[in-house]
Amino acid sequence: MADAAVPLTARRWRVPPVLAMILAIMTLWYAAAVPMNVKEVLTQAERAGVAVSPPSAAERRDMGHLVLVAQNPGALGASWSLDRARLPAPHQVLVELYDSTIDEELNGRRGIVRSGSLSNRSLIYHGWVTLNATFVGFLIGAGLGIALAIGIVHSRVMDMSVMPWAIVSQTIPIVALAPMIIVVLYSVGVQGLIPKAVISAYLSFFPVVVGMVKGLRSPDAMQMDLMRTYNAGAPTVLWKLRLPASVPYLFASLKIAIAASLVGAIVGELPVQQGGLGARMLAGSYYGQTAQIWAALFMAAGLAAVLVWAIGWLERRTLRRIGMSA
Amino acid sequence: MKRMFWAAAALAGLSAPAFAQDAVTLQLKWVTQSQFAGYYVAQENGYYDEEGLDVTILPGGPDIAPTQVIAGGGADVVVEWMPAALAARENGLPLVNIAQPFKSSGMMLTCWGDVGIEGPESLANRTLGVWFFGNEYPFLSWMSQLGIETDGADENGVEVLKQGFNVDPLLQRQADCISTMTYNEYWQVIDSGVSPDELITFKYEDQGVATLEDGLYVLEDNLDDPAFADKMERFVRASMKGWKWAEENPEDAAMIVLDNDETGAQTEEHQIRMMGEVAKLTAGSNGALDPADYERTVQTLLAGGSDPVISKAPEGAWTHAITDAALN
Amino acid sequence: MTLVVLALALWAGGFALNVALANGPARGTAAARLAVPVVFGATVLAMWECLVRGLGVPPVILPPPSQIAQTFGANLGLLWRDFVQTILKGALGGYIIGCGAAFLTALLVDRYRYLREGLLPLGNFMAALPIVGTAPILVMWFGFGWQSKAAVVVLMVFFPMLVNTVAGLQDTTAMQRDLVRTYAASWGQTLIKLRLPAAMPFIFNGLKISTTLALVGAIVAEFFGSPTLGLGFRISTSIGQLDLGMVWSAIVVAALAGSVFFGLVTVIEKRLTFWHASQRGGR
Repeated sequence: MADAAVPLTARRWRVPPVLAMILAIMTLWYAAAVPMNVKEVLTQAERAGVAVSPPSAAERRDMGHLVLVAQNPGALGASWSLDRARLPAPHQVLVELYDSTIDEELNGRRGIVRSGSLSNRSLIYHGWVTLNATFVGFLIGAGLGIALAIGIVHSRVMDMSVMPWAIVSQTIPIVALAPMIIVVLYSVGVQGLIPKAVISAYLSFFPVVVGMVKGLRSPDAMQMDLMRTYNAGAPTVLWKLRLPASVPYLFASLKIAIAASLVGAIVGELPVQQGGLGARMLAGSYYGQTAQIWAALFMAAGLAAVLVWAIGWLERRTLRRIGMSA
Repeated sequence: MKRMFWAAAALAGLSAPAFAQDAVTLQLKWVTQSQFAGYYVAQENGYYDEEGLDVTILPGGPDIAPTQVIAGGGADVVVEWMPAALAARENGLPLVNIAQPFKSSGMMLTCWGDVGIEGPESLANRTLGVWFFGNEYPFLSWMSQLGIETDGADENGVEVLKQGFNVDPLLQRQADCISTMTYNEYWQVIDSGVSPDELITFKYEDQGVATLEDGLYVLEDNLDDPAFADKMERFVRASMKGWKWAEENPEDAAMIVLDNDETGAQTEEHQIRMMGEVAKLTAGSNGALDPADYERTVQTLLAGGSDPVISKAPEGAWTHAITDAALN
Repeated sequence: MTLVVLALALWAGGFALNVALANGPARGTAAARLAVPVVFGATVLAMWECLVRGLGVPPVILPPPSQIAQTFGANLGLLWRDFVQTILKGALGGYIIGCGAAFLTALLVDRYRYLREGLLPLGNFMAALPIVGTAPILVMWFGFGWQSKAAVVVLMVFFPMLVNTVAGLQDTTAMQRDLVRTYAASWGQTLIKLRLPAAMPFIFNGLKISTTLALVGAIVAEFFGSPTLGLGFRISTSIGQLDLGMVWSAIVVAALAGSVFFGLVTVIEKRLTFWHASQRGGR
């Protein structure tokens, strides 16, 4: 059980693990695309007049994918370039990503080069719409979560009554509540960004509450006693001891919260349908443009990774400044 | 000096109505597409401005029920299909039809031709895809009239799948038949490489179970307010002008729709074709509801057998007051 | 107006009762710990009823709890069938497959450091894929039945369970590892006698997180294609039919199921990890 670290520099021929994993996944992906797309490929081949076994689509319907691949090795050329693929090949997704971002902005009819504003067909614009709702929802949710946590730590009543319900609130599927929240907010005249931000806040407040409660309770008995010898009231203890001690926990839960906030913004876009990555994914699924769905999906995951990294960067800077860096 | 000031103020006050426009919010039944071209054309070509209206068009989507939005006060007028509106009326939401731009129904059931479906009677023991969210009412009525149950595939029942608004269930053969619109999903199936003679299609119009589709609905109480009724007259007039322009200029109308599409996912080809097909459905209507069409729809919905969509004929569900004033 | 005043009075009364329960002589007892959230919940329900009726909110926007209870009672059979379809077949099936697969992968990852450095960052990326995008793709692959819902659940629970199990398997002190080394224990023996028991608290943490994720995943997946059965189907079509009582009844079933599931896992956790500091009442 060699737990001692083997320095990578000592074995230069070794491929870095993440790269090896990515290559392995790409290979598996290309290989899997063949049986996944086989029925559509064979249907197209049949229409083009190629001999396919068995010859009719109705007979092929109930056969297994691998069996069909084995019976028709020569007819599979189009597996990696189908228009409505069940599993688009990696290069198809990358091409779609490029087309919807750089190419659309530079060359599109409504791209930034020709029309001066971001094109409504590009993922950059949709990512921006989603990010707006994410940020606003994240701020609301984090603020609410911190306020609730402070209340829970200082009041027994709140602790015993609110915490169980906060847990239950997360079991309610947000996709079911989202349309109702939107309709209720429409009825009071609030449209556009705020309904989506409310849904983001709903998803992001809970990790912040849990993390902050743990953090606000983390100072040990000696530190609490010290504050008591200074005759410090609860607000002073909060400001000078509990809040600073909770900063690491806060940042850990902010990372979860911002990812949840992004998910909430995307869910909120489904009913509102006014741009955003969620609207784009749904539109891709209406028209069977699977490459569009995959491209929007990767964009969303990429955004989440960037946001979490940004919080991590903020965390490192803050911890260094308040002297708590590990 | 003071006199001039007050005179100027009075003049400004008198001219204020000329600048202020009446705000109208329209909730569409689905996402921005040529199905709603008339309204986008009216906005783009300035017909609403000419009538002194400031119209906000809210696109719909899979989770938006226009009836719910208008119930909550989020819209002044909605585009909705008559079965859903009548069902809502029976559930306590007093919707009234003020205009009917769509004269004919575009709803169809599209099936694979090679699974042995010859006619509606051989639909039993199959898997059929249906949208919900208000679009299932014509289907349920039709199944009920054919005597086919909808709770599982057996000799006199069918398995019903909740279609997800795309045509994959048909293409992937998860369903034998799916619901399609003449202007949208049917063409998506054709676009994916299927040729029309591989399919067999049942049009609801031909089967005698068609119901009225896109119409404009408002809340009954609002109609009692003369200012609101006047606003609606102007709105209907400008919207019908937009529809007639769209019927005559389908390609330009499609481009206007594309420019207003927030998701950026629509394509020119699909929208132009959709506009052409929608023009066939709006042809023959000047916006006024034909009472005979209304009666036919009500009879279809009432004939739902054991599970009718509505249980009794509605009263006061439509009015000619707005269209009479708007179009004459 | 009287109803609104009544709502405020109820809130004040409920709050006072809770303060008495939480700070009075009964505090700290199990009964009080149960009573306080129940009183809070009951107060919220009563306020909801009074405010909705008092302010004249249309029932197609927000129905009062009495109407929801009525619809719930009238549709028990239907809701039970939905529950079986969504929770027992979709969510539970995916939960078992997903957590099982994550556990086995964690064992592999623990054994081979190369895999850990490669898979965890990618798992991070996979976990960030929003369910709204993955659900339509999985429905396309696995069809409309419960299998696609289980697949969505697997995707959602795999990564949290993997991360927690890997962290748990690492959570042994140097002294413990040295001790088993002096016993010439093989990797397998170390696993069963030392690392797995040490990992139990983390594994249960992962299992608890996964219960709520499994529920949400199964319901969301049904929005994108389902047979005419299931909680997600019920919620989405009832919104379209403006049957808000049914929508909330289905939401109540989902919340109940999620809480019961979570509670079950917590009870099992208490039995199996009674020795851990968090179970011994430490704050």
